[in-house]
Amino acid sequence: MSHGTRRADRTFAVDGLARVEGEGSFRAVVRDGAVADVELTIFEPPRFFEALLRGRDRLEPPDITARICGICPVAYQMSACRAIEDAYGLRVGAEIAALRRLLYCGEWIQSHALHVALLHAPDFLGCADAVELAQLDRPAVERALRLKRIGNTVMETVGGRSVHPVNVRVGGFYKAPALEQIAALAELLREARDLALATVEWTAGFDFPDVEADYLFVALHDPERYAIDSGRICSTAGLDTDAAGFLAAIVEEHVERSTALQSRLFGRDDYLTGPLARYALNREQLGAPARGAADAAGLGASCRNPFRSIVVRSVELVEACDQALRIVEAYDAPHPPAVEIPVAAGTGAGATEAPRGLLLHRYEIGVDGLITSAQIVPPTAQNQLSIEADLRRVVELGLDLPDDELTWRCEQAVRNHDPCISCAAHFLDVEVVRG
Amino acid sequence: MSPVRGDVVVAGIGSEYRRDDGVGVEVARVLAAASSDVVDVGPIGEPLDLLGRWDDVGLAVVVDAVRGEESPGTIHVLELDPDRRSGAGDPMSGAGSLASTHGLGVIDVLRLARAVGAAPRRVVLVGVVGECFDAGIGLSEAVGRAVPAAASLVLALLDGGS
Repeated sequence: MSHGTRRADRTFAVDGLARVEGEGSFRAVVRDGAVADVELTIFEPPRFFEALLRGRDRLEPPDITARICGICPVAYQMSACRAIEDAYGLRVGAEIAALRRLLYCGEWIQSHALHVALLHAPDFLGCADAVELAQLDRPAVERALRLKRIGNTVMETVGGRSVHPVNVRVGGFYKAPALEQIAALAELLREARDLALATVEWTAGFDFPDVEADYLFVALHDPERYAIDSGRICSTAGLDTDAAGFLAAIVEEHVERSTALQSRLFGRDDYLTGPLARYALNREQLGAPARGAADAAGLGASCRNPFRSIVVRSVELVEACDQALRIVEAYDAPHPPAVEIPVAAGTGAGATEAPRGLLLHRYEIGVDGLITSAQIVPPTAQNQLSIEADLRRVVELGLDLPDDELTWRCEQAVRNHDPCISCAAHFLDVEVVRG
Repeated sequence: MSPVRGDVVVAGIGSEYRRDDGVGVEVARVLAAASSDVVDVGPIGEPLDLLGRWDDVGLAVVVDAVRGEESPGTIHVLELDPDRRSGAGDPMSGAGSLASTHGLGVIDVLRLARAVGAAPRRVVLVGVVGECFDAGIGLSEAVGRAVPAAASLVLALLDGGS
């Protein structure tokens, strides 16, 4: 909904952001024909889950934090596991690590397929939503739904179920899937990889606004593979650190309009995590199919056009299918399926790449094994300042547009980054004001 | 959680960490405990996860928290049919609000499922009016009291009642 008129001084507000997970609001103030202020506002009792975790056993965070987000529960589980294992100086073996990455690939597949085709693509094709898109291009929607189902099947096979997987525990898994269960995924993943390649080709053909942004990209980097849940945290400005070091390098700041904490990086406030960042830092680690698809789509060494994030996300869809297939083909069930976790004091931090971007957890644990302090830094809170900068550019370039069209462009600018507002605030709402 | 019985899917939608938003999940939990025919496959926080779970079944019963002016704990039973909207005041026209706090409502997911030919033949929403959707654990007293009645209504639907 928008209010206001086409004047030099105006206020317009968007009361809800369609097709963004959770609830959010966006507000822009235009004064004397110039953008005076842009705010992405997050409503929601902040840090509820961090408070909830205090006093809980060190084995509980994967199950509890998985409920923060219905779209990326595995990301929360994996970052929690890594942080608690880090507190005890434990590292899981290669077999458990591979199984975890397979589960995570399932989540990337279902999350990216959902966002690319059902939430983001309608913006480029003049459709109000996925239902209109289904009427315009039914095969594209069917392809996405098939990908989502295959992603869910991977999650069910490894995690016990696709919604809030129950097989994950700190140290590994309760039970390792049987060889034949994993082998049965191979055919599905070959199909998914082909569907993902078709998705890259489809999205690369969209018309994109000619926009470049000066992002500071931050992502996990692992020389061995396109990083999902391993590696160090690197940036395009030369940062190279671990999760604890990164948490020490950012400032989480509470601003009055937002109940989530914004993350600022020392030396430069805004930074961006997510597909654009991962691609810029890890393109060389892409497998051959994804890299070939990126080249064919003309993505180059990096992509700084936020609207083309849909193409990058599609390339990552190919990579997730391909990584998953490689894991399935080399599967060796871990025995035992988990390492033992001691009852002891410790402090640890862990980071993994949620589909939307970097997700960090940090825990302090007492001698009784109970958590005394929890910190969760989700990707959308980290991306908030960069999204606001994008919105400022969109409003500046669109001052002459009617309110409804400018509103739509602002919504699109937010969707470019696939924000999961329920994670960030742990919910968000969007409003724009011209006055 | 989404219990399944034959040609019927029952989906409890919501988050038990959003107080009364968890009522659908709780009703499904009660159903799973009450009937061995009902298979618990986990809480659904995002209605899009209905896709692939309710495809082509005869009846899908969706249990969710709803916002409304009625007393907390009031139970609504609605046939969901996006093709039969009648305008303002029609529950179908306010599907987003019916879908409690979720970004993509059940009715939109149903429209999408129909568009790709993978919709249940019949979808019934059992909605329980919530009182508090703040972050937190535990249903409000009135909503908690409505859980057994909502579960009974769903069982009646599964047994062929309307």
